[in-house]
Amino acid sequence: MSGRPYGRREFLASSALVAGTALAGCGAQGSAGGDETLKIGILEDRSGNFALVGTPKHKASMLAVEEINEEGGIDGRKIETFAPDPQSDNQRYQELTRRAIQQENVDALWAGYSSATREAIRPIVDREDQLYFYTTQYEGGVCDSNVFAVGPTARQQLGMVLPYLVDEFGPRIYTIAADYNFGQLSADWVKVLAKENGAEVIGEEFIPLSNSQFGSTINRIQEADPDFVMSMLVGANHTSFYEQKASAGLQVPIGTSTAMAQGYEHLRLDPPAMANIYAGVNYMEEIPTERNTEDGGFVDRYYEKYPDAPYLNEEAETNYFSIYMYKRAVEQAGTTDQEEVKAALESGITYPAPEAPSDTEIALDPETHHVHHHMWAMRADEEHNVEAVDDRVIEEQFLSNTVGCDLTAEDEETQYTPQDYFEEAG
Amino acid sequence: MPNGLNLLFQFLDSFAFIVLAAAGLAIIFGIMGVINLAHGEFIMVGAYATTLANLEAGLPLPLAMLVGVLVTAMFGLVVERVVISGTVPNAIGRRVLGRDVVEPLYDRLADSMVATWGLSLVMVQGVRLTLGNSLDQIGTPLGKIAYGGFSYSSYRVLLAGVALGLLAATYLAFTRTDYGMRARATVQDDDTARALGVDTERTYMTTFALGSALAGFTGALYAPTITMVPGLGGSFLVEAFVAVVVGGPGVVLGTTLAGGLLGAINALFSNLVGTFFGRIALLVTAIVMLRFLPDGITGFLDRLRQRRQEGA
Amino acid sequence: MATETETTSGPGPVDGGPDGPVASLRTYVEGPNTVGQSRPFWAGFVVAVLALAAYPAIVGGYQASRFSLFMVYAFLGLSLSLVWGYAGILSFGQVVFFGVAGYTFGVVAVNFATPAGITAAFFAGIVGGALMAAVLGYFMFYGGVRDVYVTIITLVSTLVLHTFMAQTAGDEWTVGKAALGGFNGMPTIPNLAFGVEGAAVRFGSVSFYYLVLVLLVGTYLGLRALVNSDYGRVMVAVREDEDRTRMFGYDVERVKLVVFTVGGALAGLSGVLYAAWGNYVSPQVFELAFASLPVIWASVGGRKTLLGAAAATIGIEFFRNSLGGEWALVAVGVLLLVFVLGLPGGIVPWVHDRYLGFRTDAGGPAPPESAENPEVTDS
Repeated sequence: MSGRPYGRREFLASSALVAGTALAGCGAQGSAGGDETLKIGILEDRSGNFALVGTPKHKASMLAVEEINEEGGIDGRKIETFAPDPQSDNQRYQELTRRAIQQENVDALWAGYSSATREAIRPIVDREDQLYFYTTQYEGGVCDSNVFAVGPTARQQLGMVLPYLVDEFGPRIYTIAADYNFGQLSADWVKVLAKENGAEVIGEEFIPLSNSQFGSTINRIQEADPDFVMSMLVGANHTSFYEQKASAGLQVPIGTSTAMAQGYEHLRLDPPAMANIYAGVNYMEEIPTERNTEDGGFVDRYYEKYPDAPYLNEEAETNYFSIYMYKRAVEQAGTTDQEEVKAALESGITYPAPEAPSDTEIALDPETHHVHHHMWAMRADEEHNVEAVDDRVIEEQFLSNTVGCDLTAEDEETQYTPQDYFEEAG
Repeated sequence: MPNGLNLLFQFLDSFAFIVLAAAGLAIIFGIMGVINLAHGEFIMVGAYATTLANLEAGLPLPLAMLVGVLVTAMFGLVVERVVISGTVPNAIGRRVLGRDVVEPLYDRLADSMVATWGLSLVMVQGVRLTLGNSLDQIGTPLGKIAYGGFSYSSYRVLLAGVALGLLAATYLAFTRTDYGMRARATVQDDDTARALGVDTERTYMTTFALGSALAGFTGALYAPTITMVPGLGGSFLVEAFVAVVVGGPGVVLGTTLAGGLLGAINALFSNLVGTFFGRIALLVTAIVMLRFLPDGITGFLDRLRQRRQEGA
Repeated sequence: MATETETTSGPGPVDGGPDGPVASLRTYVEGPNTVGQSRPFWAGFVVAVLALAAYPAIVGGYQASRFSLFMVYAFLGLSLSLVWGYAGILSFGQVVFFGVAGYTFGVVAVNFATPAGITAAFFAGIVGGALMAAVLGYFMFYGGVRDVYVTIITLVSTLVLHTFMAQTAGDEWTVGKAALGGFNGMPTIPNLAFGVEGAAVRFGSVSFYYLVLVLLVGTYLGLRALVNSDYGRVMVAVREDEDRTRMFGYDVERVKLVVFTVGGALAGLSGVLYAAWGNYVSPQVFELAFASLPVIWASVGGRKTLLGAAAATIGIEFFRNSLGGEWALVAVGVLLLVFVLGLPGGIVPWVHDRYLGFRTDAGGPAPPESAENPEVTDS
């Protein structure tokens, strides 16, 4: 019987699948037929390397869905979700994306934390013309008709904090960044922004993602003696840098696009590890807008649903408002047909997101599918209290002005990098 | 001058890291022939226990570290009884089925790797599910050493001293205590040792607990300086592995020499070029060392000594 | 070799009997080094293959596409079974050849996106994997590295490649039109296609499934023939006792190098198919978690049997994939522990032993394997 278990297992599996598919086939119709519900796919990491930053994204998405359903849904239709855990594994993402599109027939897809994930599923999304929202802060430059990259770009985040630090501390900048696409591209943006603000990058260091020992890095910073440091370190291993720099007594101010807002280091690390760190972000739990901090505001509603959650991070807010923007687009288009919804999204949708002060709304740019974010520079002090030191709206500039990406006129599926457009970069 | 001091401190830092990462693994591998791919997770247990003891139970740091070591040692004991030697499953098996159900993992290199890899998956995910995605961190004690325009964390430099002390203590344990003598006899020839009355099973159990305690000690020492996430063991695993293998069969001397050599290379390249090259240089050195000295440094020294004895 | 003790009467055997064509084919693929020598086994094998062939028709394109990934991994599992189970080289580095082949395929296919170019890319990828294995193998075996140190070196190579590839993000890391992409990986790798413009076969979801199935069956049978041949016996001799084999005059280093290279080619085939399946390859294939998967598959299935490695790969990946949620990783870890401790030889040898015991107990004639061709092993 040595050949049989192989055959039997397959037989059982295929019969189970036949039965399952037959049953599932009843419910897996597309929602274009005017059914009671519409379905969205939400693929966010709740285990694996990105669990720390992915879990709040999932939670905030569910909060938005719950709120919308309580108000009657979108055009009277409740939202159903397909939200399995991809476990920070890009292969699972590919497979779950295929399943979401081909089997679950989702009307819109939110997926992924890292840029690697986005790039792994973008070919599938493009092949199926699936409406896809990518909500993490990233290096920028994706000009793709199916992708709505609604998180802040490196240019927006760094563009918020770098000019402020140049004004406060001086023009000599030292960059430390994670040694991969996002880190390297962000470092390029630092050079571009430095030139635009009359500053100079006096040194750069790229650190492998697996590295958690920063002795030599700290010494090199001390040797260079910059006015401030720009840090685009990513991941759990790199978080050790802040503790190690504090214990080495390094006190230079640090501007960052990655620390504090995503992984809430200011709550996890012992003060004063994060003292004098300036984060350039569109959202952190501590930003002082009314919609965020008032009674019954965003923070309150989040913790009411999730009392044990450790933090409400940057991407969570982006997931939250993008689901509401989708709602507005569907209501405007009058249908969930994806091409019409994309057209509606390209008509100038705005939303009163928690990151924006009262009486203002943030806008989705029709030509580039990015968002003109309300950006904040947030500073942590010696006791890790975080306060806002500066804020303004920063529009998406790279694709609109420099590259000339216009998705309302012409369909595209490209990612552009600053190296091709700016001499200072690369 | 500051650059020379920089290099010295970076070397001490690197040396300490490699030696402390490798210590527990070296003992278990050298004496029991078991490769513990869950070694990183044992370090995590020590770090987590220390952090919880310090932050939740409010114990002062040295006491919290002791708690970390003890918790990990006990955990190691349980793992040894259940997974490595199979005593517990066999006892159950004898009662239920009338026979042994598992064989011990000693000297089964491949199987011990696979089994401990399974263990590590369970541990990382289990900790994530029970204790969440991260723990708050203890601050690094002891301030800094300042020189010229530079400074270095005193604590991290101190760890080099701790590493050396640990090596010395391990050496004494192996040469001056009864346990050490039994352990060395078991390594040389466990059948003869058993014939001479050594309780090899007890020796293995104690060795594994000792190796676990050392891993827990590493976790406890580094808890104030690294991020407390369930996967933190992974950042120690590579250095530990590479040091154990480059060091060779001699536990104490091998770990010391490997730590010295690899630490120096890592520090040198990190200092002169950058962290990326420091890492690559360490890995490439390991490959080259293994190619030309396949039995590790101490294996090579042993053969030299043998040859000299025979030649003279 | 494989003689049949025919006691059943009735109409003549379907395959023409002990002297028929099938029986002579069977002499190539049967022997002491593989499991399953009897007619019921081959009947079951045919049934299984037919069931797999019918699978897409039953479950549809999406499920077939998902399943074809598991079959793609089976090549990787087979490659480790070959080098570890049959030649005694425990390699954590099969994913190195997998990844190198995947990237090679990607680079060539992106630059020459015509069917002829993609065909060339297919072979280039496999050659790339084999070449990498040959270089690493030469370095290790002719340098006298043995046993666990081989394993460590393969593990460290995986790490070196991961660290290196993760930082190839900039524009300077572009080969022709193909950007290596660093940590983000290389997307937009085209689907597999064979032939030249005008007379090409392009492989979409379902046709890809059938291609992989055919390749897998062919590779499995080919490997069976290899390990049961005289060369296969030399391989097993090297696994059992290198020194003794060397004393008999065999060039042990050369044997190990050849086997390792063939294993690299197999892993390379897996990598090429993987890149074509997902239209994507990234440094994640060099991570420790993925590098240890082949060891898990081969250990659980039975590394000394080709069937065990292939079946366990498909089974475990199917299981791992279907099990979502937080407890999935815990379940896999526990599964691994239980199997390694309880069934250290793997599932298929255990099942095989039960089957032999069953046949003997039932009073039938002793099956050919147990009497005449005991498996050459010392455990």
